[in-house]
Amino acid sequence: MNRREVLQRVAALVGGTISAPAVFAVLDGHAQTPTPDWKPSALGKDELAVVEQVVDIMLPRTDTPGALDVGVPAFIDGMLKEVYSQQARDHFRQGLQYFDAAARKEYRKPFVGLERSRQRALVQRFHDVGIAVERTEGERKQKALVQQVRAAAMLPQRTQSAPVTHPRSFILTVKELALLGFFTSRPGATQVLQYAAIPGTYHGCLPVNQAGNGKRWAT
Amino acid sequence: MDKNIYDAIVVGTGISGGWAAKELTQKGLKTLVLDRGRMVRHGEYPTTTEDPWQLAHGNKPTAQELGRQAKQARTGYVVTPASRHWFVDDIDNPYEEDYRFDWIRGYHVGGRSIMWGRQSYRWSEMDFEGNAQDGVAVDWPIRYADVAPWYDHVETFIGVSGQNEGLAQLPDGKFLPPMELNCVEQEFQRKLKDKFGRALTIGRAAHLTGPLAHDESPQRSSCRYRNMCIRGCPFGAYFSSNASTLPAAQKTGNMTLVPNAIVYELIYDEKQGRASGVRVLDAETGAQTDYFARVIFLCASTFGSTQIMLNSISQRFPNGFGNDSGELGCNIMDHHLGSGASATVDGFDDRYYSGRRPNGFYVPRYRNLGKDKRDYLRGFGYQGGAARAGWSSLQNASELGEALKQKAQAPGPWTIGMGGFGEILPHHDNRVTLDRGRKDKFGLPILRFDARLRDNELRMRRDMINDAAEMLEAAGYRDVRIVDEEYGIGLGIHEMGTARMGRDPKTSVLNAWNQVHACKNVYVTDGACMTSSACQNPSLTYMALTARAASHAVEELKRRNL
Repeated sequence: MNRREVLQRVAALVGGTISAPAVFAVLDGHAQTPTPDWKPSALGKDELAVVEQVVDIMLPRTDTPGALDVGVPAFIDGMLKEVYSQQARDHFRQGLQYFDAAARKEYRKPFVGLERSRQRALVQRFHDVGIAVERTEGERKQKALVQQVRAAAMLPQRTQSAPVTHPRSFILTVKELALLGFFTSRPGATQVLQYAAIPGTYHGCLPVNQAGNGKRWAT
Repeated sequence: MDKNIYDAIVVGTGISGGWAAKELTQKGLKTLVLDRGRMVRHGEYPTTTEDPWQLAHGNKPTAQELGRQAKQARTGYVVTPASRHWFVDDIDNPYEEDYRFDWIRGYHVGGRSIMWGRQSYRWSEMDFEGNAQDGVAVDWPIRYADVAPWYDHVETFIGVSGQNEGLAQLPDGKFLPPMELNCVEQEFQRKLKDKFGRALTIGRAAHLTGPLAHDESPQRSSCRYRNMCIRGCPFGAYFSSNASTLPAAQKTGNMTLVPNAIVYELIYDEKQGRASGVRVLDAETGAQTDYFARVIFLCASTFGSTQIMLNSISQRFPNGFGNDSGELGCNIMDHHLGSGASATVDGFDDRYYSGRRPNGFYVPRYRNLGKDKRDYLRGFGYQGGAARAGWSSLQNASELGEALKQKAQAPGPWTIGMGGFGEILPHHDNRVTLDRGRKDKFGLPILRFDARLRDNELRMRRDMINDAAEMLEAAGYRDVRIVDEEYGIGLGIHEMGTARMGRDPKTSVLNAWNQVHACKNVYVTDGACMTSSACQNPSLTYMALTARAASHAVEELKRRNL
């Protein structure tokens, strides 16, 4: 039975004796973890090593799987290759080089050669700076908009987004991509967070511990 | 030739075409239903069961996909692996824009009834009277009482969940049980009433929240709260042509449905003074076929129908079909959106929800009602919602490592946001024309748009932002942020008005029954017919006007007037 036939049958079955969730279970796919012989195509080997260690620091294995367990580096490589523009890809790689250069300058070693505690400190520092920069930029834009709305009797029709003055930093881009790859992976969505493919009902105001298992919903 | 003769032809299978097909076939007419796109039967929704980990790239479009669907992607949410197959390829289906213009659409059986937002609101008496009272454009040739029974008819058949509120500006309807507001929305509802005397109600949405009042749609069942509607619903829980009207039409045995059939011209019989049929191009083979019928319903979408009419040149209609008034292609309207505010809500940390409600709250229009007078005409409604922040908000979290994972597991802070849907006034110079110098891959001339917001909308937009911020602040919420996003007319995907109804053939294209003034056996019942835009989502009104027009057509055929 191919996918289309399954779906047609599902439509026919709804309301019948077989519960729809049981039918849907057949369709569950696999997590898109890479095979052992997988090789990056957007990143070089050394670049990949940096990304691997950064995402491991950001989302480590604990009592639940971590970023490396669910294939986040391969996910990021795929995003860079297929989703990012050449310009965004270049920016990412330049940011990576800049980040690695900071490690070399400070410790005379590449990032991947540092002890884990130093790696963590460096990642955290770049991360905190990136967040502060984006927050400041956000506040500046918000203030400008508030002033414009206060002052003008009518607003201009905005037809284009404002040019990006501060493209996101390397560390924050890795974080953004790691969060996306991790929480859309099956372990991330179902073991770290909670996910219901077919909730069946809606309850708008429950005690947290009665909303499924009380964790944050993946979607 | 005989096999190409029918009682009726319906062009298009979206929200309006599906209704025309159902009503005409159920009233006994042998009806040919044409759609320019591929066949989609109910249930044939390829991504409808995909879990997040089954969608490539976290459901982000590739650079190549964005390149092919650059205009569709202006929405920000439709060009994704989960739903991009419902939207046109912009390179194969080009249009020109003198000013940013967003024509967001899909070519397949069911049309945008598969991807629509499902919000279903009645228009009120003041919406039909507005033009006459304000001296704007032309008067609607109908009033609320003309449409009310058809709203009843449509709501009963499709199933609309909602709450009756007894508001003059947003008439009550025949509703299935309302979906629930969440904790924060309930609180906001009380505060708006107390502090501003404004209403907030759960969105009225074409979802089944209980059994339908009829047994004509056994293929449909109740909403499972997956909120993956844009992919197509295997439960048939929300209204689409595919799940609802087309199966009903099919059941009569009177429908012949032909996909991949691009209607590019109406055939006008100069001797008889009527339309005799349509010219069709097969989208796959390029073969040309003429089909004939006594009555023709154009339901090809606002600009789809307008394009066919502009392309139908005859001795009688040298400027486009039925275009004696010169209004064909003019008066483009939409709902302007992207302006509003959001905030963070303290408290309710011990409260959450379960299920993904495919719906939000609605704040009905309150501006320019009663004694309220603004420096613009008409008004806007808000659509919004409250939720606990999802994992993507962790981008701004200061934690990393184990602490980040721990933070991720707990539900995020409550946030609330709302954006206005504003009425656009009909403006003669907001128009679409046929660019005969440029052809698409089928050799058909493409559309050229020239439309922009005018002073009335831009003044209203300021209120849309200020009022949202004011209400959120008054409710005691913190970190109130305002937004004014990029917008091109069409982005609301509520485009309408290019073959408007009116009382006078000199200033309008259609009469009170959606008939072309100068050619009564052609009905146009999609968004093209609209004389004003109100601020409510328009689909329910298209359905009601279509059902009303179909009934009229059948009566007129019986009376031998067509």
